[in-house]
Amino acid sequence: MALPAHIASSPSAAPSRMPVYAVVGNPNCGKSTLFNALTGLKQKVGNYPGVTVEKKVGTTYSQHGQPITVIDLPGAYSLAARSPDEAVTRDVLLGRRPDTPQPDRILCVVDATNLERNLYLVHQILDLGRPVILVLNMMDLAVTQGLDIRVARLEHELGVPVIPCEAVNGKGVIDLKLAMSRADLPLSKHAWTIPAKIAPAVADLQASLVAHDGKAPLIARAEALLLLTDQDSVRVAGSQPLHAKTQESLAKWEKQWDAEGTDWAAMLVNSRYDTIGEIAEKVVLRSTAVNGVTVSDRIDAVVTHPMWGWLILGGIMTLLFVSIFTLAEYPMNWIDAHLSGLSEWVKGNMSAGDLRDLITDGAIAGVGVVVMFLPQILILFFFIGLLESTGYMARAAFIMDRLMSRVGLNGKSFIPLLSSYACAIPGIMATRTIEQQKDRIVTILVAPLMSCSARLPVYLLMIAALLPSDRVPALDKVGLMLLMYFLGTFGAFGFAWLFKRTLLKGEPPVMIMELPPYHLPRMKDVALHMLERAWVFLRRAGTVILGISIVLWFLTAYPKPPEGASAAQRVEYSFAGRAGHVIEPLIKPLGFDWRIGIGLVSSFVAREVFVSATAVVFNVENFEGGKNADVAPLRQVLRSAKWPDGRALFTPLVCLTLMIYYVFAMQCLSTVAVVKRETNSWRWPLFQIAYMTGTAWIVCFLVYHGGRMLGY
Amino acid sequence: MSSQLQSIVALAIVVLAAAWLARRALAKRRNPGCGDDCGAVSPEIKRLQAKLRKR
Repeated sequence: MALPAHIASSPSAAPSRMPVYAVVGNPNCGKSTLFNALTGLKQKVGNYPGVTVEKKVGTTYSQHGQPITVIDLPGAYSLAARSPDEAVTRDVLLGRRPDTPQPDRILCVVDATNLERNLYLVHQILDLGRPVILVLNMMDLAVTQGLDIRVARLEHELGVPVIPCEAVNGKGVIDLKLAMSRADLPLSKHAWTIPAKIAPAVADLQASLVAHDGKAPLIARAEALLLLTDQDSVRVAGSQPLHAKTQESLAKWEKQWDAEGTDWAAMLVNSRYDTIGEIAEKVVLRSTAVNGVTVSDRIDAVVTHPMWGWLILGGIMTLLFVSIFTLAEYPMNWIDAHLSGLSEWVKGNMSAGDLRDLITDGAIAGVGVVVMFLPQILILFFFIGLLESTGYMARAAFIMDRLMSRVGLNGKSFIPLLSSYACAIPGIMATRTIEQQKDRIVTILVAPLMSCSARLPVYLLMIAALLPSDRVPALDKVGLMLLMYFLGTFGAFGFAWLFKRTLLKGEPPVMIMELPPYHLPRMKDVALHMLERAWVFLRRAGTVILGISIVLWFLTAYPKPPEGASAAQRVEYSFAGRAGHVIEPLIKPLGFDWRIGIGLVSSFVAREVFVSATAVVFNVENFEGGKNADVAPLRQVLRSAKWPDGRALFTPLVCLTLMIYYVFAMQCLSTVAVVKRETNSWRWPLFQIAYMTGTAWIVCFLVYHGGRMLGY
Repeated sequence: MSSQLQSIVALAIVVLAAAWLARRALAKRRNPGCGDDCGAVSPEIKRLQAKLRKR
């Protein structure tokens, strides 16, 4: 069977050196999926020197078995960079980065369901005069939406090979590899008309870039066009500056047009869009069956409605938390019973001594009490995976953006903030896509206020202690949990509003958001996501939390008290007890005693350590309560904990105050380290610790004393 | 196991745990950030990183 012309290679064309390909495309066009499909695990992941943008280089093989280097460049809507990511893409393509070879050939990946919008970047890239292969990705979705894309016509219009593809299913990848293997890849023959008024400036700048910056003529022309759109302002480390003569020439033309009052940037952009519009009209046909309103549009009319949208979001969140409290109860009780059994078994098979205490009161009590929350964590991530997989999360982002823009947060802050519900670290790393530095810092500063999954065990323990399951309906617990998420989220918005008006003043942000079509969830992906979270949770329990529980056991057991001391006196006499007493004056105004203080200090390593630390500290105290008392569920132990004067320690008010403390306090060492790295300074992480922990203390003080005044 | 031997073994475990935690906190991470603890890194990338480490 003969291969199509755009794939077939001439038999004589056995290249001596395989070219370097760059994979370029708009965000969310499936570029990275295609890169993974091409290279498999033959990838190297690093950073571009001096800038926190990920560099991915991989290897694929030609039809002759020769290696082809592939560079996955960050997603960009245009070569006119507006963020460090886009600046890296622009600089690599223009040969401005000495640390990265200028690609010989370019794979332009476009989303077939949004061809016209994606063609803007393609059009700019064709100006570079490099061989280009256009990959029409997501063809299956385009067909579902009733779009008929005439591939041959698109090839004819652009003059480059066009490969239809479904990267996620691996369809079209072999055709693409064959096309990439071609030694005689044609140059684009497309042309577009530069407005006559601007043409002399383009020619002048092109000449200067060739003469002074050493650029090839076609690259120089593309760069001249870019410089004249006045959107080349984002410069990142590692980017070569323009020659002084070129800058002079650019300044001269800018001055001339300013004097004339001509909006030459708009003229250039409009001219390009006109050309793209003409191409799209010839290439994309819509079947009449789906013209107009699609199913996704109909769903969106309700789901993104200003009022219904909020109600649906609230309903989904309520359903999520009701499931956490009701469905998880049985597996939690099962784990609880088995942990008690294990502890009993150790006690029955070992003689009394420090090692036995270390195993039962340190390892089993510390790790077991955290592991018990695994079912609830799994249910949470099942729902999050389900919502992401159906496309609803983007709608939630859209609804939230209305609120976020009012407090001055950038629309691109939503994904970092959403990621922070799982963990603040990926959230903070995701701020790299935010163009304005001030907006990025604001997002980094408030991201740890979103209630991460490490807070969940603390909330659940406090809710269990506060609201006994046999007497209180699940909806009350849901209400309390939603309150914590609400406090964290609106606390983040409140501080963002404050920072944008004081420390980090800036222009109001503009939001551009893409809503993907709805589709049925891929249960395999959801299950994988859940298993991944379960493994992370268990690994932490088996490593960091186990280590801290062992050390904490030692700190609560040593030095040994004089003979005849009670369990309470033993803890008080220990290193941990002494340290707890040192910090007690600081936390006593919040209703916390020295034992809670030990939990607060030790959980600075990771928030959920509070639960295991509390288990270790309180189980030791409970040792005198009877032969089975030390394996009693932690919540029972907390409910019976007392102040020296006999008052209950964990009153409902104290449980609530403690939960609020964990909403606001900066209790994560890893997050501090990441903020330091991302902001390249100690100033912001230290400020973050001060403002978050300070707020936690003040809010807890007000809640505790306000509650007491009201008689709680 | 005698009570004294239990104390020696328990203290040895405590020293090992403390040393491991200290090393973990002070060592320059090969993969900075959360050290893959937050689950933000895809399993595919983890396999890749493990493979690169082996080389």
